[in-house]
Amino acid sequence: MSRFSQMLLAGAALACLAAVPARAEIVIGAPLNLTGIQAPMDEPGFRGAQVAIKELNDAGGLLGEPVKLVTIDGKSDPVTVGNAAVELIDDGAQLMLAPCDFDFGSPASREAQAADLVGLSTCASDPLYSSWSLGDKQFTLSMWNTTMGATAADFALEKGWKKAYVVTDQFIAYTKSLPKYFIEQFKAGGGEILLEDTYNNGDNDFSAQLARLQALPEKPDVIFLSSYGTDIGTIIRALREVGYDAPVLGGDAYDDPALHQGLGEKFGNDVYFVTHTWAGPDAGPEMQHFLKLYQEMYGQEPDTSFVATGYDAVMLLAEAVKAAGSTDGAAVAQALEEGEFKLLTGELDYATADEGHMPNKAAAVIALNGGKTSFVGWRRPDSVPAP
Amino acid sequence: MQTLLQFTIDVLSLGGAYALMALGLVIVYGILKLVNFAYGELIMVAGYGLFLMNGSGLPWLVMAAVAVLLAVVTGVLTEYAAFRPVRAKSVTAVLITSFAFSTILQNAALLFISPRPRNVPLPDLFSQTVAFGGILIPARNLITIVASIGLLLLFAFLMKRTVLGIAMRAAATQFRMARMLGVPANLIISTAFAISGFFAGVVSLLWIGRIGSVTPGVGLEPLLVAFIATVIGGMRSLQGAVLGGFLLAFINTALNYLLTQDLLQFRDAFTFTLVILILLWRPEGLIRGPATGQRT
Repeated sequence: MSRFSQMLLAGAALACLAAVPARAEIVIGAPLNLTGIQAPMDEPGFRGAQVAIKELNDAGGLLGEPVKLVTIDGKSDPVTVGNAAVELIDDGAQLMLAPCDFDFGSPASREAQAADLVGLSTCASDPLYSSWSLGDKQFTLSMWNTTMGATAADFALEKGWKKAYVVTDQFIAYTKSLPKYFIEQFKAGGGEILLEDTYNNGDNDFSAQLARLQALPEKPDVIFLSSYGTDIGTIIRALREVGYDAPVLGGDAYDDPALHQGLGEKFGNDVYFVTHTWAGPDAGPEMQHFLKLYQEMYGQEPDTSFVATGYDAVMLLAEAVKAAGSTDGAAVAQALEEGEFKLLTGELDYATADEGHMPNKAAAVIALNGGKTSFVGWRRPDSVPAP
Repeated sequence: MQTLLQFTIDVLSLGGAYALMALGLVIVYGILKLVNFAYGELIMVAGYGLFLMNGSGLPWLVMAAVAVLLAVVTGVLTEYAAFRPVRAKSVTAVLITSFAFSTILQNAALLFISPRPRNVPLPDLFSQTVAFGGILIPARNLITIVASIGLLLLFAFLMKRTVLGIAMRAAATQFRMARMLGVPANLIISTAFAISGFFAGVVSLLWIGRIGSVTPGVGLEPLLVAFIATVIGGMRSLQGAVLGGFLLAFINTALNYLLTQDLLQFRDAFTFTLVILILLWRPEGLIRGPATGQRT
């Protein structure tokens, strides 16, 4: 056989391969940040998502087809996340699991929107994560900061804490908008803000802020601290060391066992935070079921309850696909808008695309005392500030 | 008055830590003309060393000593594994290697430990406070001041009075000439990395002592601080690095105290504007080191 005909044959064989329809499966693209600054949020979500995928496939898949999760590391760089999303869509992703937080998740959602696919962020809570800014097929699993801030404010007022000291970390949209909604709700409920201060993430130096706090004529009843990562622990320690033992309130960034252990018995007292779920031993049967599956898959307990956001995100997409009967973007988006969902991270009901896909969602309030967390309860504020 | 005292202590404790960070970076730069971008990871390694010894029951001082030793060993190992093979070839290659090593170490921590923060054991002393002149001062800040001043004095003595120190200064000034006069190049460079690792280890204790936990990216901030401090102070001068560290701490703390809330979020912009102004005024940094020859 001549070389030319050999090549021709090889080419024909390749063409045949390509012509065979790909094995039917539902592909969820996940440009999650497995490395970099966002990894502490996304990597647990990824682990949880894998548990959900296994559970779906063990139960026969989705619409009779196996479900596959394909990940490309977004490296905590918004541009890389966007590129990874494009690549995943080119490779046949039908649904998009977007990273946590607006700054990192929105590039993936924008690409999904451009390809008419549904995108769902595992835990972005800034109200920027809306259909207004990202498009009519984009959602976030998390409650918005409006709910998170309002729940924290209602909780403070319920406890009778009237005078607040508020610290805003200028790190990302999440840390900046959360205190805004807290203050709005807190003032509306009759609370008073004694002092607002600013912190820059990574400084690990809270001394100037402390000097300003100490210059106040009176001590606050409650400290609302919106920060991120290890800086939360640094600031709480700095406050406690110089005798500010008022309750500290915060958002889901506090939901980190390493933070609780780090604060320990000495500093881990009178801290309350609003987060997505409660995974303690007294959690409900659904959570126990998930924890059991997680244990089987990884051989250890989850080190953060953020694993539940990944599980929920996949399960939510699966329910919507089932309801829609296809993975068509418009149909799935409609199913998400119309459905009411009972998830590990609370009950969820999306507003329409015109209303920004605002998630009407319950929030979990958790207390930290003696370095140990306990569940205060699910809350759903009667009214939330406008985003 | 109290505010002034508070301010002074804040500047000194932050500046002490910054000065040590800068010194660890500049000691290698002086000799190799290499900004070792894997320097931050030496701090990280010491932090994870502490984390891994958590619960081992050893006294804290022993754990701290082992952690510092770990940073020293890693510093020397990076020199052997990453820099020595390419050192004589090109400055660019060495620069790339330092980035590569930084990435490898960070990702190793990410893969084998966790991207999430891990707690390190800290002695009780680190969370106590001292009442002084009407203000409460965290003992950790005083420890940082004492430790950094002590180390700076010890280091000055080492560099001025010992044969090794004199040889290192000679190598930093004119490497080729120093070699001709019988200064062993490899020994000097290894020593520089060991000292750099030692400073990184101590910085790690003091810096992570503030944070309480270690993450794969914990070394980024110290690296940036060290880099800026050495640029302001003068890349070729050890005193310059120390001065730059304290000056940067002064600028940051002063801005933190003085800026209004609206402006505080742009603090870094103010800091870097000042850095640019300083560089326009003194392009070689505040303290001009000895004229240096080319690296060989």
